[in-house]
Amino acid sequence: MGDLVQAELRKTTTTTLWWALLIPTVLIALGGGLLSGLTGRTFVEFFSSSEAEQLSDALGVTPDQWKFSLLGIGRTINLATMFPLIFGALAIAGEVGTRTITTTFLTAPSRVHAMAAKMMVYALWGAIYGLAIIGFTALGIVLTSTSGQMPDAGGWAMLALVCVLSSILMTLFGVGLGALLPNSAGVVVLLIMYFLVIENALQLGLRLSGVPETAVGFLPNGSVDGLTGSVAVDLFLADAGVVPEEGVYWLRVFAGAGGAQAWWLSGLIFLAWVAAAFGGGWARMTQKDIT
Amino acid sequence: MHDGSGLIAVQNLTKQFGSVTAVQNLSFTVSPGSVTGFLGPNGAGKTTTLRMLLGLVKPTSGTATINGRPFHQLGRPGRVVGAVLEAQGFHPNRTARNHLRVYASAIGVPDAQADQVLGLVGLSTAAGRNVGGFSLGMKQRMAVATALLGDPQVLVLDEPANGLDPEGIAWLRNFLQSFARMGRTVLISSHLLAEVEQTVDQVVIVSRGQTMYYGPLEHLRQQQQRRVFVQPSDVGALATALREAGVQALEQLPDGRLAVSGVDAKQVADTALRAGVSVYGIQEEQADLEQIFFRLTSGQFVGHAPAPYQQQQGGWA
Ligand SMILES: Nc1ncnc2c1ncn2[C@@H]1O[C@H](COP(=O)(O)OP(=O)(O)O)[C@@H](O)[C@H]1O
Ligand SMILES: [Mg+2]
Repeated sequence: MGDLVQAELRKTTTTTLWWALLIPTVLIALGGGLLSGLTGRTFVEFFSSSEAEQLSDALGVTPDQWKFSLLGIGRTINLATMFPLIFGALAIAGEVGTRTITTTFLTAPSRVHAMAAKMMVYALWGAIYGLAIIGFTALGIVLTSTSGQMPDAGGWAMLALVCVLSSILMTLFGVGLGALLPNSAGVVVLLIMYFLVIENALQLGLRLSGVPETAVGFLPNGSVDGLTGSVAVDLFLADAGVVPEEGVYWLRVFAGAGGAQAWWLSGLIFLAWVAAAFGGGWARMTQKDIT
Repeated sequence: MHDGSGLIAVQNLTKQFGSVTAVQNLSFTVSPGSVTGFLGPNGAGKTTTLRMLLGLVKPTSGTATINGRPFHQLGRPGRVVGAVLEAQGFHPNRTARNHLRVYASAIGVPDAQADQVLGLVGLSTAAGRNVGGFSLGMKQRMAVATALLGDPQVLVLDEPANGLDPEGIAWLRNFLQSFARMGRTVLISSHLLAEVEQTVDQVVIVSRGQTMYYGPLEHLRQQQQRRVFVQPSDVGALATALREAGVQALEQLPDGRLAVSGVDAKQVADTALRAGVSVYGIQEEQADLEQIFFRLTSGQFVGHAPAPYQQQQGGWA
């Protein structure tokens, strides 16, 4: 098994895809971080201004305790993990496309072994992308916001944890889907469309049709977004003092955790999606005639 | 685990792709120490059979084993069997050396083996180049190099001569023969008998998914029969006279000629003379291996009325 893991690792490091996708990942993370920091600063400055003082008092807002920059982090992670998702999707779809899958299966004790080795290596890559994402998002925030706007060390650790988890799960979701639909262009377009357009439309439709808000948290993007978004909201609320219920609703929507369950439950829900995609892809790849 | 015998055994193998029967109840064995040719025209089911043997395609029924085991029970298959398959791929942006190192680690052999096999197939100087820029023949050499990475006991090659230059073909021929002489097993497919005639000792000839001949190439050579085509004034009288003379292998051709096997032209002419039949034309033809192969694979083996020889040759070329 160690041999196969090394082989899969080599496959990923001997082509340029990993850094070709890491560049936009880092740019989006950094950009998202900068934007989050700026947004947070703008809010604080607005609510602290003499004009808004009355409003702040009325709402019970204590601007210096409202870490608005936190709320953009979830969104940034969600967007940036599109790239590890694509990286994962090309794991098997790419091999089917170049037909190296034949040699891969010829040199592995079984297809199950080959798939398992791939899963481990892509989980590792998911973690690497995740660390890059949280690192550059944090950098962006540090550059643009004041220290009062930032979480404490524990908060950062928690954010890093869910970011890495989210990135690993997104990568594996991609691996599974790429095995289920082993066509590089097809699966990449489908995933981008789904995560950026289709599910958002679906969420909007659900909300408009009066389905309970929590339904959204069970969708793939709703749940993976909830994994990071819920942590961001939790960290925000921990320091924000009293926030009216209506306010919390909008905070969650803003952080990308609208309708989502608690972070760990959201993580488990998305894990179920990953398992479904992976299970389907696994079944397909172990049965498929390689001709 | 496997028995290390180097034996390939295909038994009652059948593969159905939807309504297409690619392979039908195929059986043969391949022994170590010799090169076995797996021959048949395009679409005969060669590729499908080899892919079933290599665990890439699931048989509809029947079994295919290497060293007494189905592929997925070989443990470390890369060390037991190496394969050169049609449309086996390479990542275009991975260098030759890196491609081989990837699979060297999968098989569990040292990285040095990658350079070793590159040298063996004559690609050392291209080791650092991306495989995407390789010619068809270079890719084929790469496929051979990949197959040899694990120093396997059994080699399976599907039409490996495709794209190879004459030098490459000559190299492959020598390589496979010496490989077999080391007591290892080689199974090589081709749609051209001539292409492998000098390389193989045994042949399995398939057509439309079924075995048509299976045995030493030498036996096939001995089947090379002379046929005499004669245009007599009275076909019936000549046929009767020939049967009386003990010649049974007669065929009446649609053009009115009689095809007589196993005798020479002189014997036929003498018999005709004795029977008082005029001979308007007589021709002797020696079926070469290629023609036997064609007759076997076009499903018109003795017993049916075959098309005239000339036409067959035309169809073959
Ligand atoms: N994946 C597939 N799906 C459907 N039919 C196939 C597939 N692969 C092969 N065939 C059919 O099976 C038959 C045998 O093909 P193949 O094994 O490639 O023959 P050969 O290698 O002898 O040329 C052909 O009729 C071919 O069209
Ligand atoms: Mg073929």
